[in-house]
Amino acid sequence: MPVEIVMPKLGLTMTEGLIVEWRKKEGDPVKKGDILFVLETEKVTYEVEAPEDGTLGKILVREQETVPVGAVVAYLLKPGEAAAEVAAAPAVAPKAEAASPAPAAAPAAQTAAQPAGGRVKATPLAKKIAKECGIDLSLVAGTGPGGRVIREDVEKAKAAGVKAPVPAPAAAAPSAEDRLVAFTGMRRTIAKKMLQSKIEAAQTYMSNTVDATKIQQYREELLPYVEKKYGVRLTITDLMMKVTGAALREHPVINTRWTDKGVLYLSEVHMGMAMALDEGLIVPVIKNVNSKSLGQIAQERTALIKKGKTNSFLPDDIKGSTFTLSAMGMFGIEQFTAIINQPENAILGVAAIIDKPVVVKGQIVIRPMMNVNLSYDHRTIDGAEAGKFMQTLKAFIEEPFLILA
Amino acid sequence: MADKTRITIVGGGVGGYPAAIRAARMGAEVTLIEKDALGGTCLNWGCIPTKALLQSAGVVRTMKESATFGVKCKGYEVDFGAVMARKNTVVAQLTRGVGALLKAKKVKVIQGTASFVDAKTLQIRETGEKVQGDAVLIASGSVPGRIPIEGIDGPDVMDSNQVLAMKTLPKSVVVIGGGVIGVEFAQFLVAMGTEVTILEMLPGLVPGVDREIAALLQKQITAAGVKVVTGAAVKGIAHSKTENVVTYTVGDKTETASAEKVFLTVGRKPDFSLLDIDRIGIRHERGAIVVNEFMETSVPGIWAAGDVVGGIMLAHLASAEGECAVRNILGHREPMSYRAVPSCIYTMPEVASVGLTEEKAKERGDIQVGRFPLRGNGKALVLNETEGLVKVISDRKHGEVLGVHIIGPHATDMIAEAVLGMTMEMTAEELAGAIHPHPTVSEAIMEAAMVIAGGAIHMP
Repeated sequence: MPVEIVMPKLGLTMTEGLIVEWRKKEGDPVKKGDILFVLETEKVTYEVEAPEDGTLGKILVREQETVPVGAVVAYLLKPGEAAAEVAAAPAVAPKAEAASPAPAAAPAAQTAAQPAGGRVKATPLAKKIAKECGIDLSLVAGTGPGGRVIREDVEKAKAAGVKAPVPAPAAAAPSAEDRLVAFTGMRRTIAKKMLQSKIEAAQTYMSNTVDATKIQQYREELLPYVEKKYGVRLTITDLMMKVTGAALREHPVINTRWTDKGVLYLSEVHMGMAMALDEGLIVPVIKNVNSKSLGQIAQERTALIKKGKTNSFLPDDIKGSTFTLSAMGMFGIEQFTAIINQPENAILGVAAIIDKPVVVKGQIVIRPMMNVNLSYDHRTIDGAEAGKFMQTLKAFIEEPFLILA
Repeated sequence: MADKTRITIVGGGVGGYPAAIRAARMGAEVTLIEKDALGGTCLNWGCIPTKALLQSAGVVRTMKESATFGVKCKGYEVDFGAVMARKNTVVAQLTRGVGALLKAKKVKVIQGTASFVDAKTLQIRETGEKVQGDAVLIASGSVPGRIPIEGIDGPDVMDSNQVLAMKTLPKSVVVIGGGVIGVEFAQFLVAMGTEVTILEMLPGLVPGVDREIAALLQKQITAAGVKVVTGAAVKGIAHSKTENVVTYTVGDKTETASAEKVFLTVGRKPDFSLLDIDRIGIRHERGAIVVNEFMETSVPGIWAAGDVVGGIMLAHLASAEGECAVRNILGHREPMSYRAVPSCIYTMPEVASVGLTEEKAKERGDIQVGRFPLRGNGKALVLNETEGLVKVISDRKHGEVLGVHIIGPHATDMIAEAVLGMTMEMTAEELAGAIHPHPTVSEAIMEAAMVIAGGAIHMP
């Protein structure tokens, strides 16, 4: 009897799945553990493996088709069953082949080779290393003489995962024909959630520019210790999650959820971390940030990034956030506003740390400054509450050890 | 507008006075306390006077070589008094210049010896005057080092300060210490006609310099007539009416060297002896004040720069540290960078280097070395100074320039190119690709870089 290959149920909430790509063609011999096809749900992509050795028989569900959980998508033939079944379906094989080139790989390769617009001040060494690692120098903030990007900056950017992304397919190939890219399940989800948030929530914004001298300094000082103890590189984002968690503890109204019955105050802070994948936005969650050390946070963040890169998020990794932090420092963004990740009531946009002239004790001095922007739902959170939270946050960023008090 | 930040700087040497001018330019109110002469060791007892003397030595060499260039001179005579007088003239003009610059920037200069009363207050010992400020920069410099051997306090044993104040030229000298100061004095004296012996404890002259370059220098110093003894551990100095006998051992053999004078050039040591820093708890280790990367000491508001913080004791580094310190005092937050600190020896030929020596670079990883001997350089031949070498050391992976070492004419001026390059994280490719003026000795730097980046032109 041929083995039924079905659309698996990957989480409690999963009802249907989209087949993104078949990795095997009808008639291909397969070994147990070989990847048969890639599926996509609202949030994750997942590789489905062959349950046993055999030959892939009839494929019932083609690429880009969505079917309910449990539906049979193909048959796996065991030795001896092969011939008759496979012979029945020769016509579809070429079609599957034609549809198979992986679309994800193309834009990445394109942008790596293409220089960013405008002149980037970078040292020759930094340029060489960036080229080698495929890092877009225009995305790296320079700390060298006259703001030049130096080796250290590139290495930090590399560690922070800056690549050469921002694929703007239209701009990349001005002479190419316009093209239509079908919505993926993930894109539909993003579109739905973003628009819903904008329509439902009374979103308003509050912004503050804070002195990042100390937080940078603490990071530098803790870096070697964390690296030694946890084997990961501590980033400003980790510190920001920590101090934001502490500020939320002091202002519980920000760490709430909008429900039909009322405002749900959440006792723990589960920090969502906006992350860009090739396919789109996802928000993995670091649970209980207030009871975790910086090293643990860095470790979890690193693990989540790794999962993101390999598309191996489990449903629990991306559920249950109570507040979200979106960081754009790696792109050198000066200020931005984020859309609330509903049903949460607020989100913090953390911009790049940029050296700026500021006035301290009557002197114009240069300080590393960072903009933090709170988007909050005014239905729940009043301006004064948001203001108090931002005041505490500023104090904690400017003097992180206050969170110990 | 808020009141100006008041900065008190202790020491008017190259660690202190440029910092004072920088601070004043940035809008601070600056008081500079100097116990001796403005310009400190560099202008008065170090860089400048020694180079003035070596210039006289250079003239002697020109006279000796004149026939090579087709100019016959009927002998020459060294007037030692005039040599020293010219040195003094140069020094005087420069220290006057420093005074004028400080005055123009409205820096208040106090002549006297400072010591701490508390972290904000210094007192002038001679007058009892108290100076208060928001921050203090200690740039009190260093003094010649000494070694604990018998006879070190003898009347004919001189440190570098005393050498520079000599009235007459000694007939013979034993120089204890073959570092930078020792070889420069030896070079000067041998040109003046003095019989010179250098005793160096380590296996080669100028420790710390790239070994290949140091060996070339040792060869040329020896050829100029200096007797060089390396691996010599000095045991004692016996003084008699007519001469001084320095006893030393090489391996298990005991030897002696005799001379009219003995010069002690065994490095320098940080000096904060008169400041009373322990009263306010400023941390110091191994004789030097401890500072963080921003040049601040263990006591907030008190900063230090230059020789007094130990490490590399060079004038240009002291200036950079002092300026870094005042920028940070005035609200910036810039760590001091030690990536590319050049060092120079004003012998004949000159030696200059920046970055890692070949030995040190090898310890760190996979490197490439581009060498270009000055025999292949047209201008060096014109100058009749072809005994020289340029070495460019780069890492193999990216070609990052890790070190540049030069022995040859104009080496000390030419090294600036490499310093700029290393500061800007240049690789050997850029150094090789930049068009160098012809004919100059600097082409040798380009050629050495070309050895790494695709091959030199003027070398088989």
